Amino acid sequence: MLVRFWGTRGSLAVAQKADAVRRKLARALVAAGGRSFDDEAAAEAFIDGELDFATAGTYGGATTCIEIETGGAQGAFIVCDLGSGLREFGIDAFRRMAGGHPRIFHVFMSHLHWDHIMGFPFFGPAFDPGSQIVIHSGHADAEQALRRQQEEISFPVPFDWLRAKIEFRMLVPGESYQIGDVDVEIMAQHHSHVSYGYRFTDADGKVAVFSTDSEHKIEKMDGEANVASFFRDADLVICDTMYSLADSVSMKEDWGHSSNIVAIDLCHVAKAKRLALFHHEPTYSDEDLQRLHAESIRYEELTREESPLEVLCAYDGLEITV
Amino acid sequence: MIWHDEQRGDGIVALPVGRVDESTAQDFTIGLETGVDRAAGTGSKKLVVDMAGLDYMSSRGLRSLTLAKRKADGLGVSILLAAPNGVMREILAISRYDKIFAVSDSVDAAL
Repeated sequence: MLVRFWGTRGSLAVAQKADAVRRKLARALVAAGGRSFDDEAAAEAFIDGELDFATAGTYGGATTCIEIETGGAQGAFIVCDLGSGLREFGIDAFRRMAGGHPRIFHVFMSHLHWDHIMGFPFFGPAFDPGSQIVIHSGHADAEQALRRQQEEISFPVPFDWLRAKIEFRMLVPGESYQIGDVDVEIMAQHHSHVSYGYRFTDADGKVAVFSTDSEHKIEKMDGEANVASFFRDADLVICDTMYSLADSVSMKEDWGHSSNIVAIDLCHVAKAKRLALFHHEPTYSDEDLQRLHAESIRYEELTREESPLEVLCAYDGLEITV
Repeated sequence: MIWHDEQRGDGIVALPVGRVDESTAQDFTIGLETGVDRAAGTGSKKLVVDMAGLDYMSSRGLRSLTLAKRKADGLGVSILLAAPNGVMREILAISRYDKIFAVSDSVDAAL
């Protein structure tokens, strides 16, 4: 199983501005200390070996879109959410379809808020008459949400002009589904208008959990055993870690999001192997996210009781082999 | 986790010992709520949690502190954290709980 992150930012798409790029360049030049490099390969070796991620790269700014590749027999695309990262995924999907990849997309919706659907009007394969797009959701109003954002007041291309064969299927918590090359389970989560987490199991038994936009309410901590059970023994848990724990129980309570601290605790109880910090706060800079990542690794070390949990910080373009 | 609290001067000092995690958070919550009730009857209306005996605390314990703070706010009681060890100090910083609770180096400084 391969998990590919096309969009990792929460709430609103963001982009690096010139001053942020300038600071990265200045830090890199200082780190180079006057050295010269014979070619780009030598420069890249320096970047990989000596610069931190916030200097050498960026966590990116597209909103939620994740692809899961299983290498299974049916070979359909598996996509979680239709955030702005979907646009680039669509371009890459065309490249792969030109090479013979089946033109079938199974999409799994966490929920229908704007940042999770905003990429769909820009999804090239939706205009391809040879493509089939099946949108799975726990919500009964998924079709209404996608049609509404393409009404004339918001977008110039109406939903009915899309040429792909588009279907909507509703999934129910507690049931197990075989869709494409994966077994799928769904879990209701606390969020405005409800959100759903997904547990994907491939033919090799590898498990990836997608749990975004999920607040773990302070008054319902006993119910977290059910969440840990949903995460049980997962090879990868992609988890909403938008706020600090203090913010999530004070100023930003009831905003529908979780923290790195709770995500790590849940993964420890679940005996999950890897956690990807996800749905990054749009006001956070690359330096902020790098600090969040380092602090999360440290918290995991401090609170670990059994086998270690590897803590990753998702970024646009990250690929994880599960 | 073992809970003990006592009146010291004009406030209540709680002395939890051990680890606060999923298995012990309930006892920690009950201890805190009892401590808040007792502190409400003191002149200073302070509950000082002496953290020197705590090895570490997971999010369950931290959120128990928040629940206790909500009760305390309603009774006019202040909860203050004192003398955390190095691990606890790191956890308070990483969770940003050091922004929503006053943290002192010693119980005497908190009282």
